[in-house]
Amino acid sequence: MLSARPNLARDVAIAAAVLVILLLLPYVWPSKMINDLVIRVSAFALFATSLNLLVGYTGMVSFGHGMFFGFGAYAFGLSMQRLGVSIPVAFLITIVSSALLGLVVGAISIRLKDIYFSFITLAFQMLLYSTVIAWVPLTGGDQGLMGGIPRPPFLGIDLSIESHRYAFAVTVMVVGLLILRQIVESPFGYTLRMIRDNTERATFLGINVFRAKLTAFMIAGVFGAIGGMVMALFVSGAYPEFVNWTMSGEGIFMIMLGGFSTFIGPAAGALILSVLNDVITRGTEHHGLFLGAVILLFALGLRKGVTDFVADWFRVRREAASRTGS
Amino acid sequence: MNLDALTDCLTSASCLVTQTTSGLIIGMLLFLVAAGLTLIFGVLKVVNFTHGSFYMLGAYFALTVNGLTDSYFLAVLAAAAGVGLFALVFERFFMSKVYGSNVLMQLLVCYAFILILDDAVKIIWGPEFKSMGMATVFQRPPIFFAGGIVPVFYLFLIIVTLIISVALGLIITRTRFGTVVRAAAVNPSMVSALGINTGLVYSGVFVLGGMLAGLAGGLAAPVRSLTAGMGFSVLIESFIVTVIGGMGSIPGALLGSVLIGLVRSFGSIGFPLFVEGLMFMLMAIILILKPSGLLGKEG
Amino acid sequence: MLEVKGLFKSFGGVAAISDVSIDFPTGSLTAIIGPNGAGKSTFFNLISGGLVPDAGSVTFNGTSLVGRSRAQIIDAGIGRAFQVARIFPTLTVEESLLGAVTAHRQRAQNITHRFPLPEMRDRMLEVADMLGLTEKLAVTSANLSHGDQKLLDIALALVLDPKVLLLDEPTAGMGPDERWRMIERVHELWEREKLTLIFIEHDMDIVFKIAPKISVLCYGRLLAEGTPDEIRTNPAVIEAYLGTSHEEAAV
Repeated sequence: MLSARPNLARDVAIAAAVLVILLLLPYVWPSKMINDLVIRVSAFALFATSLNLLVGYTGMVSFGHGMFFGFGAYAFGLSMQRLGVSIPVAFLITIVSSALLGLVVGAISIRLKDIYFSFITLAFQMLLYSTVIAWVPLTGGDQGLMGGIPRPPFLGIDLSIESHRYAFAVTVMVVGLLILRQIVESPFGYTLRMIRDNTERATFLGINVFRAKLTAFMIAGVFGAIGGMVMALFVSGAYPEFVNWTMSGEGIFMIMLGGFSTFIGPAAGALILSVLNDVITRGTEHHGLFLGAVILLFALGLRKGVTDFVADWFRVRREAASRTGS
Repeated sequence: MNLDALTDCLTSASCLVTQTTSGLIIGMLLFLVAAGLTLIFGVLKVVNFTHGSFYMLGAYFALTVNGLTDSYFLAVLAAAAGVGLFALVFERFFMSKVYGSNVLMQLLVCYAFILILDDAVKIIWGPEFKSMGMATVFQRPPIFFAGGIVPVFYLFLIIVTLIISVALGLIITRTRFGTVVRAAAVNPSMVSALGINTGLVYSGVFVLGGMLAGLAGGLAAPVRSLTAGMGFSVLIESFIVTVIGGMGSIPGALLGSVLIGLVRSFGSIGFPLFVEGLMFMLMAIILILKPSGLLGKEG
Repeated sequence: MLEVKGLFKSFGGVAAISDVSIDFPTGSLTAIIGPNGAGKSTFFNLISGGLVPDAGSVTFNGTSLVGRSRAQIIDAGIGRAFQVARIFPTLTVEESLLGAVTAHRQRAQNITHRFPLPEMRDRMLEVADMLGLTEKLAVTSANLSHGDQKLLDIALALVLDPKVLLLDEPTAGMGPDERWRMIERVHELWEREKLTLIFIEHDMDIVFKIAPKISVLCYGRLLAEGTPDEIRTNPAVIEAYLGTSHEEAAV
């Protein structure tokens, strides 16, 4: 009667299995194209899942989440280029600074409700974008961070070697998703769901909604930035496109395509969209036409993400079983 | 940052006139676009992210008709009519399907169209920058005004956009259509209970908005270079304008447009790379102090 | 004891509540009745922290509640259920109650453990049992029947361990049989938990059967107070509210 709940042990086991599969993949199916795809999907999976913490779990529709992806890429890239620190230290700097960004932007934006929250997050993102474009001496302007990002070895890991880079990216993704999973299935995660479902009732239960939303915003920001960092490592640079509104748009599309009602939906969406993008770019020069057509098909036809369909199927089965007595 | 250049300009009569006129042009054209956007939001509660593409289509339609007929005036009319028609199809067959949905679905439909239209434009008209050229009637020496120079075409644009704005105001306040539209913005179920087909009202509002955006595109075509991404910056600016002025308020759109137009023209002197940053800062400030916008209604 | 004295509230010049004073002794069961627009919901809002009165006092066991935040009023022990059930549609009954208990016990921000924390189960089961929801724990709240949703709404209020419970039209939207079942459950709850219970109700049969004390509001004023018999025969109440058919039935 009391429904089975996902526990940490089970999630760790699944994560470990996935990690092993991903690590073995390059040996089973050697292909630079596949490796690159997996690394990119790792970055986007973190980005999209972190956005869904806001959109799917808390009901905060941020139009500007790309700001964290881009900020993470630039913060990491600049730390390595200018501060000459080791990668773990740059990683730490990225996390702390993106948390601060999340704190400042969140504290201002969360006061606004509904569509105005969405607008102001977009405004902040575009402000960051404009700053990146304008502050040429620091960011390289519209050319992006040039000169590559140094990759000094650390702890026996040398990220200038492709196989190390691949392993690092998938490990960061799996561990990152595992941490997000824990957050989402913790009491705090259910507090966020309560806020999403009925904010007023949540306040009547004594929940400090502002503080909860701000915490969620900061966590989402940090993990979005980690995604950006993975991308920066991969392309050895940071580009304005990472901070542009199209990044936010793609994040939202990943969530919708993959499904926002499941935890793994956004990551699935990241995979689907990346493959779709690759296939379309390879197949035709009219990328916009085909991608746009696919999006329309999805928005007007399917209307639900892939994993939403799967989850619905399971739920219908479960509720039918409980009705026939179990 | 180039503050010296900015102060120099502000103290020079000719620069002041040039920049103010250019700011007004940008503002007035932006107003045509933003008015449509804010109208659509006010009545349908939908943010039409495709609005920039309407503007772009207007410019390209004008280009083609101008090429065929060598008449700027026909070109502008074609732009308005063509985009109006497109807006009708867009609304009836696509947007109306997601009226009740999540705002993210609406955003996706618009995003899809932006992608499709940008590519379509590249396919039909070619990816290179195109220009339309000035109609011969405007190829005259500029007018001297208050110590500065104003091109004849600019004067024409200001007058025409003022006339259109007044006409729009009259349509909204004096005609039956306008009254129905304003009623639908406040209480759609009441309007349909009175036997008025709200679907038609919604289509009408979209067509009006589309025509205005297409008109702006056509009017601006002689002084812009046409390219597939040109709708994007217009979208962003008109979006900023509607937020600053107040979503759903046409007078607010006018105020916001003139403000943004001036920010752009003077800002490009003082902060050439950060002009958009300035606009977003303004938008953020307004959202923080008065989210419903300068002239928008509370709540 | 909850004491309301001289309560006033106007909205834009219209007096919603005028000079209302009612005492609710500890453990009492009071029905608030009155025609539509009498100000009953406004009255609830005023004593539960949803609205600030223009004048007057609301004191609970000697402490003033006026101007306090919702959190403080909840801490003081005032709980409230709503006319339209305010529940969490995507969460199951179990998850909703566990979430509420977790919030009440100040563990709502925890990220280091998995939900639900084991120590919350007992209280959740206790409250579910109080409202007869034990069989329905696995049901998603949106799929509950209307009546069960109202029960869940009350359960969510009870989680907070209130000493005073305000029920805003607990039987709204129900058919006659369901209404009696609901009010019987409410009555049972009142007796078992020794709450001070105040409920707004429109069904006169129910009110006269169940409530030992009735307060009648009309146009924002307290028209009459008393036992069912006193109210039934009060001419002002009859005129304002019940109408002649009931007068004949009462006599």
